[in-house]
Amino acid sequence: MTVSTRAEGGAASETAAAQSADATQPDDAPRPLSGIRVIDVGNFLAGPYAAAMMGEFGAEVLKVEHPIGGDPMRRFGTPTSRPDATLKWLSESRNKKSVTIDLRQEEGVQLFLRLVAKSDVLIENFRPGTMEEWGLTWEALTEANPRLVMLRVSGYGQTGPYRRRSGFAHIAQAFGGLNYLAGFPGETPVLPGTVPLGDYIASLYGAIGIMVALRHREKTGRGQIIDVGIYEAIFRMMEEIASVYGVSGKVREREGSGSFVAVPHGHFRTRDDKWIAIACTTDKMFERLSVAMGQRQLSSSGLYGDQRKRLAARDVVNAMVIEWVGSLDRDEVLRLCLAEEVPVGKVNSIADIFEDEHFIARGNLAHIIDDELGDIVVPGVVPTLSATPGRITNLGPTLGNATDSVMRELLGLTTAELQRLHQHKII
Amino acid sequence: MNTTKTSASSQTAAASGASELPLAGIRVMDVATVIAAPYCATILGEFGADVLKVEHPVGGDALRRFGTPSQRGDTLVWMSESRNKRSVTLDLRKPEGVQLFKELIAKTDVLCENFRTGTLEKWGLGWDVLHAINPRLIMLRVTGYGQTGPYSDRPGFARVAHAVGGIAYLAGMPKGTPVTPGSTTLGDYMTGLYGCLGVLMALRHRDLTGEGQYVDAALYESVFRCTEELAPAFAMYGTVRERQGSSHNDFACPHGHFATKDGKWVAISTATDKLFRRLAMAMGRPELAASSTYGEQKTRLEHRHDVNEIVRDWCGSLTREQVLEKCYATDTPAGPLNNIADIFGDRQFHARRNLVAIDDPETGESIIVPSPVPALSETPGSIRSLGPKLGEHTDEVLAEVLGMNATQIAELRAKRVI
Repeated sequence: MTVSTRAEGGAASETAAAQSADATQPDDAPRPLSGIRVIDVGNFLAGPYAAAMMGEFGAEVLKVEHPIGGDPMRRFGTPTSRPDATLKWLSESRNKKSVTIDLRQEEGVQLFLRLVAKSDVLIENFRPGTMEEWGLTWEALTEANPRLVMLRVSGYGQTGPYRRRSGFAHIAQAFGGLNYLAGFPGETPVLPGTVPLGDYIASLYGAIGIMVALRHREKTGRGQIIDVGIYEAIFRMMEEIASVYGVSGKVREREGSGSFVAVPHGHFRTRDDKWIAIACTTDKMFERLSVAMGQRQLSSSGLYGDQRKRLAARDVVNAMVIEWVGSLDRDEVLRLCLAEEVPVGKVNSIADIFEDEHFIARGNLAHIIDDELGDIVVPGVVPTLSATPGRITNLGPTLGNATDSVMRELLGLTTAELQRLHQHKII
Repeated sequence: MNTTKTSASSQTAAASGASELPLAGIRVMDVATVIAAPYCATILGEFGADVLKVEHPVGGDALRRFGTPSQRGDTLVWMSESRNKRSVTLDLRKPEGVQLFKELIAKTDVLCENFRTGTLEKWGLGWDVLHAINPRLIMLRVTGYGQTGPYSDRPGFARVAHAVGGIAYLAGMPKGTPVTPGSTTLGDYMTGLYGCLGVLMALRHRDLTGEGQYVDAALYESVFRCTEELAPAFAMYGTVRERQGSSHNDFACPHGHFATKDGKWVAISTATDKLFRRLAMAMGRPELAASSTYGEQKTRLEHRHDVNEIVRDWCGSLTREQVLEKCYATDTPAGPLNNIADIFGDRQFHARRNLVAIDDPETGESIIVPSPVPALSETPGSIRSLGPKLGEHTDEVLAEVLGMNATQIAELRAKRVI
């Protein structure tokens, strides 16, 4: 950890606050999922992030947690002075209300089913078979609510020989084929950027499935199950790799910072020891780069104007770009490339991002006030909808902050009943 | 591999017609190129939308030429990702092309585009114009940097978005060259997903209110949104996360990729003490988890180099299959780093039907593609055709949607509008 950039970060944050406030829509702007109630009984991110997105766009999200400790994500990641909330919890449990129920107790299961009866969507990510062990089978759930849409996320999906294996994002990403491809040829495969990428991606697929299923439900009155294996969400994004292996038996290997299909296309170190990305996907892009480099002749037909020739002379072409980029500071390389419209960008650290005027202008750094912790900066809502934008109404809640109100309002429980349930640690 | 093809082929036969699918009756125009915005249209098509792929009459979508060609000439990635689409050629640089486009927009629910900002406006097809023609229209606009902000007119590719959005910086060995985060098109797919979610929410709002809108998706934002606590940790503590090689060493140990005796790799992830106990059991060294040094995450993290070395030595002494067998026996989170050959041989991929073989009717070539995700129990997505030939459906669509006759269509073709 370093604290050297703290002051700069603080300054940038203030600007971001001012700017993102301008971009924020009024609190009464309509949201497309208003009136939809979601129960999120998952842990960590794979699935719960789908609930977070639905919450951003107006759904009411009840985060159902175990009465003791709750979601382990509350303790995973960088701690804050709130003992029940890491920064990860605060950001990714945005817009949720916490309701504690112990599903390992029969009475908890019954309460849960009563909540399901009053909800539209249920999201879970237990190991396949776990909910069934508690009596929460699809039959029991749909008996409580025939219109229920249920998202089930697990490492390997609800079916198949590996369904019972524990599946964390890291393992599922490796299984889905992504981790094998990150790193230099012949060297240790590395993480593809961040660990829970697979959790986010599985949640995106899950949220799409929910929206499709809700649409079907509006037409037919029937709910259904969306079954997402984290590994297959990753595998779905492997563009031509399966098809190429299928027709030719060619196995895609790690390609370092480059690309097999285009040159130059990768990360290059600048004189001031920073990094930029250049993506010359087409001949036109390379022509622009050659002009930016002041070596227009490179993109002539006799030399490297054609992608095939560049691929054949990959090392020579890359060496020229490495040398040129290495002779200039990052800002200068960017200026020259942008003047010619070369696809180029900084390889941003989070410190770079906080200083970046575009992130600030787009409201990507949202400042949200936590009652206890004050100002917390989290990624803003993606995507941007013009008429019904999403918004962040609260950060990750304290454990059980809405248990009593939800039990009263939705299930009509009395104070005496609530007391008893609390005493027996059922809620 | 042959068995894969056989078993995969038999599954495609099960693909049902589009009429019962949940997005039947929705018409999508995909006037975009390569993967990001088109992938949104692909998903909508898998669930039953009628997707018209509008392409330039000369050459069409660049994705047809990007990557490895099929026997037909169009690339394999085109064949896979343009599944279920109908190709309609239209030159938007000609006034008659713009006119036809407007007529199609009047009969369309969703438009997907990813031109540089201002391009559609230059052709007289900006949001205001399209919205006036069809107030119920949903429009997905994908660009590298979004429709607003100081960089909005810069060219954007996923490679650059990975860099700008903050994940390229984190991929690689500590202090080493940042590497590609597994795939150069990850950000394209992620943006297709965010865009598709936006479109589906906008459709819901439209069905309730009659009001259309546009979705503004930026490649870099999709990437940045998935960087978990990077932003709050920098804001609160000034923490700048650096490249960490194969392991997430800040929070869990051991956690990473380990080489096995047969030159393969496994991923092991022990995020909690309980999981470390299971690993210690798998390694036949339960005492490790009992020791005051390694029993707790905090002290394991302090001794991460020693812990990683123990695990590295153990993995290196066994084949991949042996390591995984021992890990699965104690329920330790572990798995292979599959390459595509591993995937084709894997029982789980087969059981879940993740690979589907579809014949190109043109050449008879059998092409294996990833099947639709996510799996819906009542209304599963389907692949009814591979990527179309350029302009394959121009005549049928102009006749069916705009009621044009053969003479009118021939005239447009003579003028190279289509």
